[in-house]
This record gives sequence, structure tokens and C-alpha cells, in this order.
Amino acid sequence: MMLLGALILLAPLVHASVLTLQSPRFTITSTNASQARAEPISLVKKASPPLSLGPTDTLKITFQVIEKDSGNGVQPHQTFLRFFDEVSQEEGIQPLRVNSAGKAKFELNMAKPPLSLPPTSKDPLKVTLIIGSHLHSPLKVELFDLHVPASHPPPQHPDEASFHPLPVIQHTFRPDQKLPPTTISAAFSALVLAPWVVLLGLWAKISPRVPRLFSPSIVPFVATLTAFEVLLFWYWIELKLGQVLLYGAILAIPTVFAGKQALVSIGQQRLRQK
Amino acid sequence: MILPLVPFLLLSFAAILHAKSSTGDSVLVVLEPSLDQNFSVFFDGLRARGYDLTFRAPKALTPAIIKDDVPSFSHVILFAPETKSFAQDISPQSLVQLLSLRTNLLIALSQKQTPLSSLAAEFSLVLPPPGTPVISHFPERDTPASIFPVDVSASNPILSSTKAPVWYSGISHSLGNNPLLVPILRAPVESFATDSSDDSGAPSIADAAEKGGEGLWAGGNMGLVTGFQATNGARITWVGGVSVFSDEFANKEVIKGKPSGNAAFSQDVAAWTFQETLVLRIDETTHHKVNETTPLSQYTTNDVVTYTAHISGWDSGKATWLPYSGLKDIQLEFTMLDPHVRTALPPVKGSPGTYSTTFRVPDRHGVFKFVIDYKRKGLTALQSSTTVPVVPPRHDGYPRFLSAAWPYYVGAISTSIGFILFSTIWLGGDVREMKKGKTSKTE
Repeated sequence: MMLLGALILLAPLVHASVLTLQSPRFTITSTNASQARAEPISLVKKASPPLSLGPTDTLKITFQVIEKDSGNGVQPHQTFLRFFDEVSQEEGIQPLRVNSAGKAKFELNMAKPPLSLPPTSKDPLKVTLIIGSHLHSPLKVELFDLHVPASHPPPQHPDEASFHPLPVIQHTFRPDQKLPPTTISAAFSALVLAPWVVLLGLWAKISPRVPRLFSPSIVPFVATLTAFEVLLFWYWIELKLGQVLLYGAILAIPTVFAGKQALVSIGQQRLRQK
Repeated sequence: MILPLVPFLLLSFAAILHAKSSTGDSVLVVLEPSLDQNFSVFFDGLRARGYDLTFRAPKALTPAIIKDDVPSFSHVILFAPETKSFAQDISPQSLVQLLSLRTNLLIALSQKQTPLSSLAAEFSLVLPPPGTPVISHFPERDTPASIFPVDVSASNPILSSTKAPVWYSGISHSLGNNPLLVPILRAPVESFATDSSDDSGAPSIADAAEKGGEGLWAGGNMGLVTGFQATNGARITWVGGVSVFSDEFANKEVIKGKPSGNAAFSQDVAAWTFQETLVLRIDETTHHKVNETTPLSQYTTNDVVTYTAHISGWDSGKATWLPYSGLKDIQLEFTMLDPHVRTALPPVKGSPGTYSTTFRVPDRHGVFKFVIDYKRKGLTALQSSTTVPVVPPRHDGYPRFLSAAWPYYVGAISTSIGFILFSTIWLGGDVREMKKGKTSKTE
């Protein structure tokens, strides 16, 4: 834009005569007459506060294009009203009809908006008047900002969304399983262990004697039985079924012999005691 | 003997060093003989960047652009804006076939109705009626209204080396809402298309607009030069006026002493069209459980998984693929029918070209896909899909000791201990004495 600005200054001025607007005015007429407003348009300063149209209001703009030096009315080649939404970048161009005396009139009836009005949102439309001519210097005037009722959004291509970042999706996980308080579990575990007290108490009363506890014929059998229990516990923690069957089969062989030896030795002892 | 070889060697080195397209360097230029413009600046620029140009008239029969369904050239320039009848092998159908065979096209249009202008409509460009060039009275200058300078948007990555305004003369077009369109040069805000050439034509402009529909081609939303990237990556660029590439505009000054941007602009447009710039590809994607390195053939629900993609960009200066870390908004989807997880895939600092993210696999089992589907205007589309099954935990994949089941564990273990204890006491005990004890008790 800066380059073009410099260009405008530096380019040889072939169009000698300069155009200007005479008595530019806007009028807002409203059916309920609450927002009615009529003011002259300044060429250097935008109207303040911004104009605002209701759904049934009508905006009327009138002006005359004249040559600045002679004051004669001129019909320029291009007289466009540009509506531009700076946020959505939507743009609408409305050519205005200027008669040969340079007089122009434009009516924007919001009950029947023209096709040139772009899709609008709650952001204001910047309204610019563009006047271009083969014979005169071009003229561009920022008239005012205009609030109009929001329209439907412009239609989008179904694939358009995939050309922009899509909303992030987070998976909603099932909540973790709820466990009862550990004190309750501990209390019930203690309950399960309670029969041991009875058992140990009764045993203490009869105090069984175990003279052959470390006898070489008994110890191997007790050891292999213990190994079986450890194997099953190990299975619970990490072993697979195949491994358990394999280890169990291997363990079974010494167990059979150790068991036979232990039972035979008990039998012999009982015979001896008879 | 050696001396005459030196320049040749230097030349071949220069050719290696110079830019080349990612898809090949042979270019067919279909040039209308009646064009009264020279394009030597443009064509010499292409040759200097390593392209191999072949020229042909629109009605000439050789070289064919497509032979036995195989394209003969990597890129085709159609500078025949006013030709109404081409040789048989150049038809809208064959141009579309070229595109589907990944050949890039650069096509110039004019205000005349030709087969190419009807083809443009198939690419969502809406051209004005024949005989209506775009004109602009802004800025005030000494050239006709139909020749005007256009500011180049600095944020357009396609035109990165174009710094000065570009002279333009030709037609404008309005753009459909097809997202595959890539606007390269927009019309100035004040420009409009008209067939009237003096101020007395003013009423006809208003009339045209009142006819409704696409009555008026005016304003900054019109396109002058517009690209289109097909879903297979091939690119086609539509230029509303062939003179943008001409020597006359390349040498024409915008401001006294400062050349226009046309020379750089035409090279930029060709570089994008011929897939030199903004060309990306996914080299490799990997996935593994966090804190591990080997990819698994299946994942368990609730696993925490790291996904990594390696992306390269084509470097036309070095004519090679280099790791590219410039994508900030790439996303990864973990999809089973619908995406269950969509998360950002940010570049990894200190590791060029690597994009990585870690996320928890959903607690749903089924056949999932890691999906990257990255589409942005002007960039090559990146697509990748890796199928991976997600299974529920195995029977032994659950925790072994839940606090809720403590009584059961304690019961089972105490039964085992009790069994061993009883066995030991029975095996090691003295039977007779116990009998004695019992009998003595009963006595």
C-alpha cells in the first residue's frame, strides 16, 4: 500500500481536474421513527457514532459529483459504493446511477436488501465511495461505518472445514472402578483369619508331638507339597497355564517318589509299633 | 583439449546447483505465434533455474503433450489465450487427463471465448462475459485504465520473492467456494470489469449490475491469477492476462527508477505451479508405547502411545528433500469410523522434520487408524494412515491384588498353609501316642 501511495504522489498528473462531492447527505428513515437520523457526510471524517440500521429501516444517500474547479456536475465512469466487513473479509460492490448532471441517489432498504450487500455479522460494514473516471483524477471517500442486522453466514463448501485446524477431540474415558475402603477389606481379611486362633488354641491344648518332623523320609515329601503350593501362587501372579502344567508335571515325579517313601516309612513305623 | 571442456563443465555444475522442480524439469510451451509480446525474461528465467523448454505452436502436431497415456512433459505452459482451435491432442479433456497424471499446467486466458475459458469454469472460476477486460482508475497514472499495477500481499507464501507491485492487464474472474482454489493475485479493490472505454459508458455498468446474479466483476474478491491444486498434488494456474509474463511489463517501471515486480512474480508463479515451492511429503511415520522404542502390532486399551511423523519439504535451491519443521497446525487423529482422539502434532524442538505427540489410547477396542490428513491452501496435501488394532487387556493383564479381594486372597493362602501344616503334622506326628492321649482323655 505504501508503494502505491508513493506512486500516486510521484505519477505525472495527467488528469488535471479533480472531482469532489457536493452536499453529500445520508438519511435514515425508520418505520417506528425511533432511529431517524439525517446528517451531511463529511469527506474527511467518518460519521460518529456509526450508523445503524434496523431490519425495516431505510438508508438514503444523496450527493452530486462536481468538478472542483468549475463546479459543473460530472457523470463519472465508475461510481461504486463498497461495503466491506473487515473481520470476515466479505465485500459487496453496488454501482450507483449518476445522471448527467452528476446527481446520485442510493437507497438501502433493509426489508429488501440488494444482492450487492455482503453476508453480514455483528461487525460493522465499512462503506466507501469509489469514483473513477477516464477524464478526472480518481476519488475514494470513506463515508461511514454501518451496522446492519446480521444475515445468514455465506454458504461454505463441505470440504472447507478440513482446510483449517479442526476442533480437538478428547476421549472421555470410563471412570476408574471404585474400591471399598481398605479398612473394610482388612477387617474382613482378619475375620477370615480368625479360625486360626481357634485352631492354634486347640492345638496348644493337645500339643501334638512331631518326633519325625525332620526325618529324611518325611522332609522331601513336605518340601515337594510346599513347592506345589508355591507353584500355584506363582501361577496367580505371572505364570501362564502351559508353564504351570510343565513345571507341575516335572514336580510331580519327585513328589510321587517322595510321597511313596514317606507313606511306606509311616507304614513300617506303625507295623513296628504294633 | 581440456580448455574447451571447462565452460561445459561449469555449465553442467550450474545446472545441478540451480533450482529444479520436485516432479521433473521438462516444460512444453504452447505459444501462440500471433502474440505480439516477447516473454524472453520469463523463459530465460526458467532456463536459468534448470528447466528444459520445448516450444510448439497450438496447431502443430508435434511434440504431443500426451502419448500412449503417458505425459511427455512434466509441466505445460499454455500461452495461447486467443486460439480457438487447437491441434487434436490439446483439448480440455486431455488437459484434465494431464492433471490426473500429475502434470502441472500454467494457462493464460484472454477476454475472448476459447475452449480454455470454458475449461476454467470446471475449476470453479467464473469468467466475465467475453470482451470485458478488468480496468482500474486507481491509482492516478499515465497508462490506460486497462493496464494497472497490483499490490502483492506480503503474507502470501507463494509470492515470497515478489516485492514490488505487478503490472496487470487482462480479465478478472470471481472464485467459487471450492477449497482447492489457491488465490495467488487478487484484483485491486477499485477495479472492475467493463466493456465500456469512456465515461459515457457509466449507465451500462449500473445496468449490468442490476441484471442480478454475477452481473458485475468488481472489487477485491475477484481473482487475477488463481491456482488450483488437485487432490493428487498436481497444480494448475489460471492467469487472466498473458502480458503479466511479458518483457514489456517486466521492464516497465512502477515508480521512476524502480522496476516492477513482474519478473519476480512470474518466476514465483511458475515455481509454485511447477511444484518447486510449498511442496511437502511425509517420509515416515512410527508409533510405539511411551518409554519403549519398538512399534507394537497391536495396542491395549488405555496404553499411552507416542506417534511420530517425519516430514520433508522440497528445497528447490539444493534440489533435494530436507527435513521441514515449519508446520504449526498439523493434527493427528486416532480413528475408528469416527475420530476418537484428535490432537495437535507439534514439531519436536531440536529434531528437524520430526513431529510427535503422546496420547492415551481410548478404552474402546477395535481396529483403529492413526490418520494425518493435512490440507492447507497452497501446500501439498499430506496424507498418512496406519492401521493398528486395539485390544482389551488379556486375562492376565489386569492388576493381581485388588484391595476389595483381600479376604479371598487371605482365605486361599491360609487354606494352603493349613493344608501344608496338617500334612506336616500328620506325616511327622506320633500316631500311637496321640491315640493313647485320646483314650486317656475319654477314660
